[in-house]
Amino acid sequence: MNVITTMAYRQIRRFTRARSRIIGTILHPIIWITFFGLGWSRALNFPEAKALFGGVDYLTYLVPGIVAITIFTTSFMSGMSVIIDKDYGFLKEILVAPVSRSKAIFGRILGDSTTSILRGIIILLMCAFITHINILGVIPVLIIGVLLAFTFSSIGISFALKMNNLEGFGLVMNMITLPLMFLSGAFYPISSLPIWIRIFAYINPLTYAVDGMRYFLIGKSQFPIVMDFGILSVLCVVFLSIGMYLFEKATIE
Amino acid sequence: MKKYKYAIEVKNLTKKFETFAVNDVSFKIKKGEIFAFLGPNGAGKTTTINMITTLLRPTSGSIKVAGYDTVKHPNDVRNIIGIVFQDSTLDRELTAYENLYIHGRIYGYRGDDLKNRINSMLKFVELENHANKVVKTFSGGMKRRLEIARSLIHNPEILFLDEPTIGLDPQTRSHIWEYIERMKKEYNMTIFLTTHYMEEAESLADRIAIIDNGKIIAIGTVDELKSMIGNDMIYLKFANNLDSECVKNILNILNEHFGNSNIINGIFEIRVKNANESIPKIFEIALKNSWKILEVSYRKPTLNDVFIHLTGKSIRERGGNFDMKKIFAKRRGML
Repeated sequence: MNVITTMAYRQIRRFTRARSRIIGTILHPIIWITFFGLGWSRALNFPEAKALFGGVDYLTYLVPGIVAITIFTTSFMSGMSVIIDKDYGFLKEILVAPVSRSKAIFGRILGDSTTSILRGIIILLMCAFITHINILGVIPVLIIGVLLAFTFSSIGISFALKMNNLEGFGLVMNMITLPLMFLSGAFYPISSLPIWIRIFAYINPLTYAVDGMRYFLIGKSQFPIVMDFGILSVLCVVFLSIGMYLFEKATIE
Repeated sequence: MKKYKYAIEVKNLTKKFETFAVNDVSFKIKKGEIFAFLGPNGAGKTTTINMITTLLRPTSGSIKVAGYDTVKHPNDVRNIIGIVFQDSTLDRELTAYENLYIHGRIYGYRGDDLKNRINSMLKFVELENHANKVVKTFSGGMKRRLEIARSLIHNPEILFLDEPTIGLDPQTRSHIWEYIERMKKEYNMTIFLTTHYMEEAESLADRIAIIDNGKIIAIGTVDELKSMIGNDMIYLKFANNLDSECVKNILNILNEHFGNSNIINGIFEIRVKNANESIPKIFEIALKNSWKILEVSYRKPTLNDVFIHLTGKSIRERGGNFDMKKIFAKRRGML
């Protein structure tokens, strides 16, 4: 237990030290909401469009997507700190410690997830003032957020353990982040996509997080909520196990 | 606590990457001993440390630390060792205190006990006034000291120091030497250190293993190692640029009288029992052969001489400095 809480503590402590990073990661979704959301919200302000977005205005439709994307990108980025730890050597400090490595990496994922969920909450609360979301939905949204954050922290860390430089990881991040974002139903319903692209949306974990959050915040979803939870939970366990396994096997070679 | 005679027992240790980084190395370190690995950069020192500290798996051979096999019982080994790596492994974003706190928690300490340990270790390395500063702002010497403090938090029985004073100024270096000596005295710690500084090995270590190209080429106390090459060294520099015929001739004559003569970088080296008595004799010979000697000097043997004797090259030449010398020489030539 000591190791898990200590590693989580470290990740959170690092997060609170990096003020520019906090501001940056909160500013990013705000830019999406204001410059992207407000514009389209005005442009799509006619009945047919509203029907397409489940009867709500576009800005409200966008909120669950932006919250999910915030949690997704920030937790995925936790892989970056693994590479930084490799570069600056801190990883060795953990590798020579007489502790269970799966616990150490679990603690790390826990800490990183906490910080990204925190950012998600901040965005969610900000949006609550300017949109028509169901504020009571926040608690179940958080649970989805936890599953999402654990899944993508694990994926990010697994990638990072197999990679050796920040540039490479940045490249992978960019190549993966954008398609996953656009193919998640965050910006428009998946049903409006051509069938061959829709397949990619269906295998995208983010899709189910966006859908589940939308269910609780707006009351509309494409899949049954049980399915969203089910798929996210399975993916979470799978990627968490992969991350733990890879860290268990990690050497400095 | 487990009783053991040898802190570290290494048998036929080999690690192969593309080539052999460590090649059939065996040695034993007694409890309470300071043992140094002396060798140039790239000799296999860090690879050996990484294997002993369970970070790397040996290709073959066995390592026992305090009686525990490093491959079969890595966590038992990890529990009783402390390590200061060559490159910093501190968390730069956190404060000195936080770094020690996290380390202590990971090793199972908590509460007041941990707090006291942190404070006394910070005091030991004289960083108590910098406890709440972020490590990023520390100088190289401060980081190394903090790293030493951290390695001691969990009270290890065996401490590993990989190039503990590399890249530090002379003042900080002698400071760190002081800590190392105090650690041995106050905590009766077994210390394994690697270094490419001869003075460091000579002044700190009870026993030294000289390592080159992944192999241990000599092992013993400083005196034992030095006795391998006789006593004093005399260096001769001649006035004019000698051709190879001349050099051969001089070497032959010197060898006739003294044996053990050599030429390195245009300077003749003669190994003798007593330099004070031999130098006049050299002048006699020079007079007879009408050699023009420009400079004469002599000194007691150093570990570097031992290294040269064993490998034909100096420790520095083997390391990065040699290339720099070459580059400078080239530059001068171009200008």
